[in-house]
Amino acid sequence: MSADAEGLALRPVAVNLLGLVEQPEFGSTPYRVSADGSSYVPVGDGGIVLGVRLGESVFARDADHAAPGACLVHPDEGARHALTVYSCIGNQVVIRTGQAAGARGIVVGKRGEAGRVIVSLAQEDLARLRPADQVAVRAYGQGWRPAGFPAEVTVLNTAPAAFAALPVAVTDGGRVLAGVRMIAASKLAGNGIGRPAAGWDLDLQLSAPGEQSGDGSGGTGSLLLGDLLAVSDLDARWNMGYRRGWLTVGLVVHGASPLPGHGPGITPILSGPAGVLQAEPDPTGHVGLTEAAAQALIEGEPELE
Amino acid sequence: MRAESNADRLVSQVLAGEVWPALADRHVYRLGPDGQPFVLPGMGGVTLDVHCGDPATGYASDHLEPGASVRHRDPAANMALQFLTCVGNEVRIASGPAACAVGHVIGQHAYVLVDFPAAAMAGITTGDQVTVVAVGQGLVLTEHPAITVKNCSPRLLAAMPGGTGADGRLDVHVAAVVPAEAVGAGSGMVSEYANTDLMGAYAGLGEDLSLGLEGLRIGDIVALEDSDHRYGRGYRAGYLTIGVISTGQCLLFGHGPGPSSLMSGPADAFRLVTDPGANLSSWLHDGQEASR
Repeated sequence: MSADAEGLALRPVAVNLLGLVEQPEFGSTPYRVSADGSSYVPVGDGGIVLGVRLGESVFARDADHAAPGACLVHPDEGARHALTVYSCIGNQVVIRTGQAAGARGIVVGKRGEAGRVIVSLAQEDLARLRPADQVAVRAYGQGWRPAGFPAEVTVLNTAPAAFAALPVAVTDGGRVLAGVRMIAASKLAGNGIGRPAAGWDLDLQLSAPGEQSGDGSGGTGSLLLGDLLAVSDLDARWNMGYRRGWLTVGLVVHGASPLPGHGPGITPILSGPAGVLQAEPDPTGHVGLTEAAAQALIEGEPELE
Repeated sequence: MRAESNADRLVSQVLAGEVWPALADRHVYRLGPDGQPFVLPGMGGVTLDVHCGDPATGYASDHLEPGASVRHRDPAANMALQFLTCVGNEVRIASGPAACAVGHVIGQHAYVLVDFPAAAMAGITTGDQVTVVAVGQGLVLTEHPAITVKNCSPRLLAAMPGGTGADGRLDVHVAAVVPAEAVGAGSGMVSEYANTDLMGAYAGLGEDLSLGLEGLRIGDIVALEDSDHRYGRGYRAGYLTIGVISTGQCLLFGHGPGPSSLMSGPADAFRLVTDPGANLSSWLHDGQEASR
């Protein structure tokens, strides 16, 4: 049992949803145009992506929006949005059909527009997966709030056990302190700005270490899939948008993109006034959602308070 | 604008469109910055009494699209209409009581947005057919290879003040300069479709939401700092994008009055001239009224 922002005791519920493993889609041309004006063929933008793991750099691959695992979708537009909106980080999934039937995984993030749920599972299970395989998602977390959280801080897109595995704590002074890899300025926010935070990720226009940087800083330091990252002056309680003195923290769920206005993406999990929600950046020692933590969540008991 | 271009090498295409209805769903409400639910008109259909030169904000409206909002029924033909149509292109009403009325394109916003004289606008409604003479994509400023031109008709280019300066930079008159923090929905999309919503222009709401953009007018030429729209819309330090404010008041959070992209390149390729008269109404609208 937890309390909502108004202090009413409301018990969150779990729902079983069905997702289908995605096959990437192209129009009649294979090309996209990068921020520098070169054409490229996007690889890794949705579907099953092998070998990409939590803990590897978002700049490690020559790919477009590559995520650690497989993306789930649904052929019905409304059902696909519901799958995306209700699924939360840490939710358990079970493969129901195909060669990987019975294999288990967890939700590690979501992507926007039409909607995708990103699930991680063991690489040997991922390799047996095939587009259109059915996956049951035990969706739980929207409407849940950790006990003792200040009312000013909105929690979204996370289930309790995954939240407990992340470096987020309430201080003695009643503030929420999140350990993050870095704090990005809101002006680097790209695709996802102006869109609902429960159903859309936020891309950040960051450049790889040592690269010619879009933000003029000579590139981002290390940023890993599964890291927490904070964005200053960003309010993500409903739609995501600029609000001076506000902070949003999200989990890094997919890698970089050559497209202008795109980049590594976060699924927002916390948003609140900067005086109550604070981020502590640790460029070298930060630990977010790791492969080991994900494995523990896969093996854990189904969640229900 | 006194700048050499390839305008005489461009071709015009005649395109068909249709005034598109405003759309809603059965859930009715959307959410503003503070979570306030709202139901407000502005997008689609024919929005009356807001023209180039009028304030962009201050209306009880969301995603205000001045004038007629135009699409094509067929999805692929619609993308041709949206991509090929440029600001300043002539549009003629082809059916209904306002047939033969002439207006001009002021921008794109997932619709082609067309401003007509008020008298003509009163007779236009959803379903009316329009004819667009599309010309402008492919326009090149031959003395300014670093600058990419987008969505700008030769007619608008010729009407704009400024041009190639003595030091070789392009002088552009702008009514406002927009900080990169203001860029909202539209980032990451192609530059030939829809526009870039600007946050920080929520008239009448909190100071923490303001980026000082409440004074924008429909039709204003603006400069977006640190924006590169050459190959799609993204952030790039040291780049500049020139746009024209084609949509107005928004309450939906992360959205706002939006410029359609006209030019983009390194900031040092431009010299900005602050000019409150840098508005489409100064060069196109009045002339069009006179021609009626």
